Amino acid sequence: MDLHASKAREAVIPTASMADIAFLLIIFFMLTMTFEVDKTRVTLPETVVRMEVPKKAAYISVNEAGAIRVSSGEELSVTVASTEDVLSFAAGVVASQPGKEFVIKADEGVPYRTIDGIIDSLKRARVEVIYLLSGAEATELEGGGEA
Amino acid sequence: MKLERDTKVSDEIPTASMADIAFLLIIYFMITTTFAATQGLDFQLPDEQDETPLVEKEESVLIEIMPGGQIVVDSQPMELDAILDYLKPRLERNPLKPVIIRPDPDSDYGHMVDVFDELRQAEDKIGIQVRNISIPTQREIEAFWY
Repeated sequence: MDLHASKAREAVIPTASMADIAFLLIIFFMLTMTFEVDKTRVTLPETVVRMEVPKKAAYISVNEAGAIRVSSGEELSVTVASTEDVLSFAAGVVASQPGKEFVIKADEGVPYRTIDGIIDSLKRARVEVIYLLSGAEATELEGGGEA
Repeated sequence: MKLERDTKVSDEIPTASMADIAFLLIIYFMITTTFAATQGLDFQLPDEQDETPLVEKEESVLIEIMPGGQIVVDSQPMELDAILDYLKPRLERNPLKPVIIRPDPDSDYGHMVDVFDELRQAEDKIGIQVRNISIPTQREIEAFWY
């Protein structure tokens, strides 16, 4: 009778494909990651209607204290002194990139006077479309239109 | 006795630490990634080169926002959710009826957004779109209204 002794099996977890999975995840994160050009912390007003803001749009942020920061969408935002500076900034952006969209990211408690000055500057700079950045309300509807 | 030295060299690339490095990078990306708000209300600005259309105040609906957030529509105090019911018969008669939002300079920006958002929901709530919304700036009000 031919009896074979049982062979000891090696207790190894195969980890060869682990790196493949991990690198796939890294590639996913790298492709989907966008660098935030403006890191101003604000409490955004909440809306039901919300449209996707174009990537690379120029940002104008206003925090609760009324401090204004601007970014053309390609570099980090910088502080400006007044809405008149917003006009010269926006005019420069529109001159180099006509049709560029602007995003107003403002705290919900900011006095409207400041926003009025910014919108007025954008109108004078011939900006065509602005987005009022908002958070999501409980019921979200898709839709849009022209105002 | 002559012992032979083991000169066999492994032909495998060591990949054991590869997963460690990769997972470290994943953890870095997961920690540093922030979910930024990237949605909002779009607003088409009128072309300043165009001739400013003259809108008679009597022909339009004027929504004023007071400093405390109170809403006054055509001189009548009104709740936010009553605005669309007020507008419905007027929009049925004239779908292009201008609706003007005029926030007080001392009112909160959030109140203006609330009113604008309510008007943008008109199609879903009353079945008719508010096509002609305008938010004149203080400069425009002073230049054209007085």
